[in-house]
Amino acid sequence: MAFSLYFSSHAPHLPSLSSSSPKFIPSKLLFAGFSGSCCVCRRRNLPTAATLNGDAWTSGEEAAGTGQRKVLLEVKDLRAVVAESRLEILHGVNLTIKEGEVHAIMGKNGSGKSTLSKVLVGHPDYEVTGGTVSFKGENLLDMKPEERSHVGIFMSFQTPVEIPGVSNMDFLHMAYNARRKKRGEPELSPIEFFGFLSPKLAAVNMSPKFLDRNVNEGFSGGEKKRNEILQLAVLEAELAILDEIDSGLDVDALQDVSKAINGLLTPHNSVLIITHYQRLLECIKPTFVHIMEKGNVVRTGDISLAQLLEREGYRSISAV
Amino acid sequence: MACSCSSASFSPLRLLRSRPLLKRRLRFHQKTIATATNFTSASLSDPFVLDIADKLEDSLSLCSTSCPSVLLKLRDSSSQSLLTQRWPSAKEEPFRFTDLSFLKSSEILPAASTSAIHPAPSFSFPASNFLTIVDGCVVPSLSRLTSLPAGAFAGSAVDVPSGHLYETVFAAAGEGFSDGDLFWNVNGFGAPDLAVVYIPEGERLVDDPLHLRFCAAEATEAGSGRLLLSNPRVLVVVGKGSELSIVEEHLGVEGSGGACYWSNSVVEIVVEEGAKVSHTYIQKQSMSAAHTKWTFVRQGKCSSYELIELSTGAKLSRHSLHVQQLGPDTTTELSAFHVSRNDQIQDLHSRLILDHPRGYSRQLHKCIVSHSSGHAIFDGNIKVNRFAQQTDAGQLTRTLLLAPRATANVKPNLQIIADDVKCSHGAAISDLEEDQLFYFQARGVDQQTARDALTFSFGAEVLARIPFEPYRKSVSNQVKQLLTAG
Ligand SMILES: Nc1ncnc2c1ncn2[C@@H]1O[C@H](COP(=O)(O)OP(=O)(O)OP(=O)(O)O)[C@@H](O)[C@H]1O
Ligand SMILES: [Mg+2]
Repeated sequence: MAFSLYFSSHAPHLPSLSSSSPKFIPSKLLFAGFSGSCCVCRRRNLPTAATLNGDAWTSGEEAAGTGQRKVLLEVKDLRAVVAESRLEILHGVNLTIKEGEVHAIMGKNGSGKSTLSKVLVGHPDYEVTGGTVSFKGENLLDMKPEERSHVGIFMSFQTPVEIPGVSNMDFLHMAYNARRKKRGEPELSPIEFFGFLSPKLAAVNMSPKFLDRNVNEGFSGGEKKRNEILQLAVLEAELAILDEIDSGLDVDALQDVSKAINGLLTPHNSVLIITHYQRLLECIKPTFVHIMEKGNVVRTGDISLAQLLEREGYRSISAV
Repeated sequence: MACSCSSASFSPLRLLRSRPLLKRRLRFHQKTIATATNFTSASLSDPFVLDIADKLEDSLSLCSTSCPSVLLKLRDSSSQSLLTQRWPSAKEEPFRFTDLSFLKSSEILPAASTSAIHPAPSFSFPASNFLTIVDGCVVPSLSRLTSLPAGAFAGSAVDVPSGHLYETVFAAAGEGFSDGDLFWNVNGFGAPDLAVVYIPEGERLVDDPLHLRFCAAEATEAGSGRLLLSNPRVLVVVGKGSELSIVEEHLGVEGSGGACYWSNSVVEIVVEEGAKVSHTYIQKQSMSAAHTKWTFVRQGKCSSYELIELSTGAKLSRHSLHVQQLGPDTTTELSAFHVSRNDQIQDLHSRLILDHPRGYSRQLHKCIVSHSSGHAIFDGNIKVNRFAQQTDAGQLTRTLLLAPRATANVKPNLQIIADDVKCSHGAAISDLEEDQLFYFQARGVDQQTARDALTFSFGAEVLARIPFEPYRKSVSNQVKQLLTAG
């Protein structure tokens, strides 16, 4: 069934392609990514996954089996400029992400990957000048950044900012309560919140002492990334956009972080991974791999695209 | 209760009437001027200043039926300076940015110490030792001193027993300070009382601070054009190897935000050899009040002095801080957090003088100007003189301007003459960081809440240094309220 989904060229769930006629590179690996049993095994092997996931995965299997995956994010011909200089960075990006899918975006430095993610979460440095973005059927571009967070989008920053004077605990608590308030749920007291937080900390293998420290202040590069995943775990977003979450991570941290991300995956939420390296994609199997170039998605394929890149560099991609 | 009430039980020996010193001096002065052939305008008396001095003298001769000789001496020397001092102008560097027109345009009247009832300020803190100073006079009935160390003293100078303590206090108070400005001299001349805190050698009062509460009993309505002036004065002497924690709190007139008065205080602190003083200074005067204050600290060798300053009140607030290290291996740590809102001036002029080897000093000044008409001023001078080798001095000032046209004038300056020193300084004036705001929003926190959190966090660094939990909490809550009130 996965095959039929994949090759049906008009299927709305397919990642849309930019105008520059990108090419698909289908591969069996692709299907192993989300329908194969290896994926299930991997998750079952992870204790953190169990903590975060409960039994959601089982029901997800069924959803996947019935082919009922809903479109989560749909980006069409998205154009965006730098608000200050009016310089266009995104020149008509197309991307469709369905629930339960893992997408990866790769591309040279400066190709627009971070810009795309920031535009999706409403960063004020950029202005959308064309195209549409819908999330769960709602117009995302009409929403303020905090509203985008409330509807379930999360972006981990490539370089998370330090916030002196605000403790990590207070920050997480504020963020979590803001969401609860939005949903009409009662806010959690600090003690209740700590109870909620403890297993999440364990899942990302982070020491509670990071809660007393100020947000990202003096954190090492890897600690900042781990802290981003902790926030993701707290906010339980449906779409996580992870911008170079693997950069600056040591081998063990990479394992921790990918375990945690796998643990957060359910058939109903999705991940968009921006990375330069195949490494991370071996831990978190992508359903689709996209290549960005000069503000466009120029190729879409499966993990073999990432492998090709790793072996032969970007020249091989452009040459195809 | 009048100011003189505190003298009700004093020995008749000290029931001296203060002499109309200034008036005699003034007549003499004018004669001298009239006969002098070459006098400069600087030596001319300033009518506005003279008028203040004149009224102060009248009120003092009315009220101070008893006056300790320490005060008489102070009055004497201050009157000399007052005669030649002019009202500060923007042409003088120390007042270049500080707009004093609020004072200058008001009719200044001494806070008459005859008011019948002092409003009992609410005892918000469970400090076991507190001294209340109302309109410059120590009020024993509003004070409580339950756990002073043996041989320690806290109270009015008139109650200081004669003997060693009296001599110590007299000697400490007698050491002149030549860099005082007009406000210093107005206080020296107009102080109706002198509050004395003395900790003898080797004693400690640290776990529970000594709380000095300054209150104004009298005020006029904002807009009346009249300002009631009071001149509280405190002398703190901390003996060799002793430790003292004080909280100095300037309270507004309760109940009305529009209360108008001018509190012009002086706190002198003598930190003897090896002694340690932690000084928390909380200024929350009424928003129509003027608050001018001097803090003059002398530190003996191997001593340590830490000041944590939280200034949020008054329409015009000016703190002049002078710290002098008088021996080697001395530590001085100064931190300040100011909030300047609508039509409010927050000014810190500090001067730290390091004259001896191996001195250590840190200064952190942080200020938020949250309204267009708010104004922050910081002039922080650190002087590392020739013999102050191996000094480690750091200075940092950061100002947050939250509104268009909000003003800050900062002038951090290190003057270094010694050559073997480690000194650093930095200054920054900014708005909230967009990236930080966005980080909050991206996590679902709306912009206003994010702004409030970031604004508050700016001062948190200083607030966190308040050494006592109840004060830290109370000031933090107050600051939070001020900053979110818009
Ligand atoms: N705020 C901005 N102002 C000016 N130029 C910008 C801005 N944001 C992005 N750009 C430019 O847009 C291009 C794309 O930047 P972007 O950060 O999206 O690249 P990237 O694909 O994430 O690169 P990397 O792999 O290095 O992270 C770059 O040339 C960058 O300089
Ligand atoms: Mg990037």
